[in-house]
Amino acid sequence: MEAISNFLITWTSIDLLALTALGTFLGIYIGAIPGLSVTMAVSILISFTFSWEVYNALALMVGVFMGGVYGGSRTAILLNIPGAPSAIATALDGFPMAQKGEAGRAIGLSTVMSVVGGFVGIIILSIAAPNISEFALTFQPRDYMMLGIMGILLVGSLSGESLTKGIFAGAFGMLIGTVGLDPLTAEERFTFGVVELWNGINPVAVMIGMFGLSEALMQLHHLDKQAIKQKLDKIIPSWGDVKKYLPLSLQTSTIGTIIGALPGTGGDIAALISYDYAKRTTKKPEVSFGQGAKEGLIAPESANNAAVGGAYIPMLTLGIPGDAVTAVFIGALFIHGLNPGPLLLIERPEMFWMTVGNLTLANIFVLIFGLTGIKIFSKIVECPKGLLIPMIFMLSIVGAYAINTSIADVWWMIAFGVLGYFMKLYGFQVGPVILGVILARLVDENWRRAIISERESLPDFFANLFASPLSVALFTIIVLAVVTQTPLMKLIKRKG
Amino acid sequence: MLHSQHATVKPGEVLFGFLLVAFSLFLFWQSYEIAGFSALSSPGSFPLAASALMVISSCIVAVQNLKLPKQEGAFFSVDIMPKIVAVTLAILLIFSVVLETVGFILTAFVFLVASIRYLHRSSWQRTLLLSTMILVIIYVVFRLIFQVVLPEGIVPEREIMAWFEDLFKSGGTN
Repeated sequence: MEAISNFLITWTSIDLLALTALGTFLGIYIGAIPGLSVTMAVSILISFTFSWEVYNALALMVGVFMGGVYGGSRTAILLNIPGAPSAIATALDGFPMAQKGEAGRAIGLSTVMSVVGGFVGIIILSIAAPNISEFALTFQPRDYMMLGIMGILLVGSLSGESLTKGIFAGAFGMLIGTVGLDPLTAEERFTFGVVELWNGINPVAVMIGMFGLSEALMQLHHLDKQAIKQKLDKIIPSWGDVKKYLPLSLQTSTIGTIIGALPGTGGDIAALISYDYAKRTTKKPEVSFGQGAKEGLIAPESANNAAVGGAYIPMLTLGIPGDAVTAVFIGALFIHGLNPGPLLLIERPEMFWMTVGNLTLANIFVLIFGLTGIKIFSKIVECPKGLLIPMIFMLSIVGAYAINTSIADVWWMIAFGVLGYFMKLYGFQVGPVILGVILARLVDENWRRAIISERESLPDFFANLFASPLSVALFTIIVLAVVTQTPLMKLIKRKG
Repeated sequence: MLHSQHATVKPGEVLFGFLLVAFSLFLFWQSYEIAGFSALSSPGSFPLAASALMVISSCIVAVQNLKLPKQEGAFFSVDIMPKIVAVTLAILLIFSVVLETVGFILTAFVFLVASIRYLHRSSWQRTLLLSTMILVIIYVVFRLIFQVVLPEGIVPEREIMAWFEDLFKSGGTN
C-alpha cells in the first residue's frame, strides 16, 4: 500500500507533475537538437537545482533524461544526425524511411516503441531492484571496489578508441576525485597548500566543462553544416503496425534493459546490440536493413528507452553508474544528500517508489509530447549553431558559477572544458573521467576498508577474494576486460 | 566503429601525449608525497595506484603515437585549433575574467553580441536584438525564477529592481 502511495507522489502533486512534464518536454528538444546532449543538460541543471527540494529537482531531471533519450531519434530520422549517441542506430533505417517520404510514420512508430521500451525497463527495474539491493547487502568492501573499477573500465573499453586511453581517462578522473581532505584521515591530498582546495574540485564543474563546454567547442568545427528538411505528414501510427512489431519491441526492450543495467554500458550500446539482434532474427523484412526497415528502427528505439530503467538498477541498488548520464545523476543524488547504494532502498523506500512512479509518468509524457507539436518541433530544431553555441557557453558559465557562487568553479569548468576538447580530438573519451570522479571515493574507501580488514596483507586479501564466488566473478570480468584488449589477444583472435 | 584505432597521428598529438606523460609523472610524485609507500591503507595508496596507471597508460599512448605516420595535409591551425575555436575561447576567457568585477548583465551582453556576431554572422541590428532576447530569457529564468545569484559588478542591479518594484507599487495604488 505504502509503495503505491509513494509511486503516486509525482502524480498527485501539481508541482511535481508540472516539473516532470516540463522536464520531458525540454528533454525531447534537448535530445533532438544536435549539439545539446542530455548529459550536458543534466550537468548544467544540477547546479541550478541543488538548492531545490529533492523531489522537485529529481522530477525535472528524470523528465529530461527520459525525454532526451527519446528525442535523439527525431533528428536521426529527419536529418540523419543522431541527436544523442543512443540514436546512432536509429539513423541507420530511420533516415532512409524519411527519404522515402515516411518521416511521419517513422517518428510515430519510434515514439510508441520508445514508450513500450520505457515501460519494460521500468517494470524490470521495480522487480529487480529490491532483490538486487537485498543481495548487495552481502557485498564486501572489496566487491564494491571491484564494481567501481569495473564500471570505469567498461565505459573506457566500450566507448573509446582504445582501452589504454580509457584507462588513462578513468585513472585521471579518480585522481581528480581524491583532491581535497581525505574523508577518513583529513590528510591533505593534492591541495598544494591552497585552503580552497580542501573541499576538492567540484564534480559538477568538471562535468559542465567536459560535457558542455568541450562539446560546444567541438561543434565549432562544423558550424556551417546545413541540414536537409524533410516533409512531415501524419505521425500517429496505425494499430496494425503497432501490433505487428510489438513482439520485436518487447524482445529488444528486455535486451536493452539488461544491457542498460550492466555497469559501463548505456543506451548507445543497448541500441546497437538490439539493432544487430533484429537484423539477425528478422527472416524476411519488407524492406532490407539499412534501406528503411521498420524493424531496424523499432529495435534500437525500444532498447535505448528500456536502458533508462535498466541503468537505474545498479545506480540505485549499488551506487554504481552505468554510463556518463547516470554518473551525472549519481552526482545529483549525492548533492541532495542521498547515498545511492543497497541501503537507499531500505532507509528511503519512498525515494525508490517515487522514482519508479516518476519514470512511468515521464514515459507517459514522452508519448503525449512525442505525438504532438511536430510543426513547432521542426522549427526549433533548425536553430542555427551560431546562436546555439553562445547560449551553451553562457549556460555553462552561469551553471558553474551557481554551484557555489564562486568564480573559481568557472575557472575549473573552463580548464576542464579545454582539456576535454583536446582529449576528444585526440581520441580520449571523457565519460570515464566523470565516472572516475564520481566513483573515486567509493573505490578509495572500500579499498582501504578491505585491506585494513585483512590486516594490510595482500596475500590474505587475494586468498579471501578467491574464496567468495561473487568476488571471483567480478575479478574475472575485470581481468577479461583488460586481457581481451591486449595486443597478444588481438593477435590470437586474428589467427583464429 | 567502436574500436577504430586511428591509423595516423593528428597534428600536435605527439606533443599532447608527452605532456600527458609529464603531467602523470608529476601527479605520481605528488601522490608519493602524501604518505610515501608507508602502508597499503594510507591516504596516499589509492592516488599512487591511480597515478601509476596514468603514467603507464600515457607512456603506452605516447609510444604508439611515435610509431604512427603523420596525417597528410593536416595542420594544427586548421584541424585542431582553427581560428574560430581560438577566437571563441579568447572571448570566453575575457568574459570569465571580467565577469566578477564588471557584473553579469554587462559582460553577458557584450559576450553575446561578440559571439553571435562572430559565429552567426548576422547584421548588427539582428545581433543586438537576439542578444537582448537571450539575455532577458536567461536573466528571468535563472536570476528571477531559479534564484541563482549572479555577480552584480558595477551595475546597481538591486537599486534598479527596487525602482521597478516601486514603480509597479505606485502604479498599483494610483
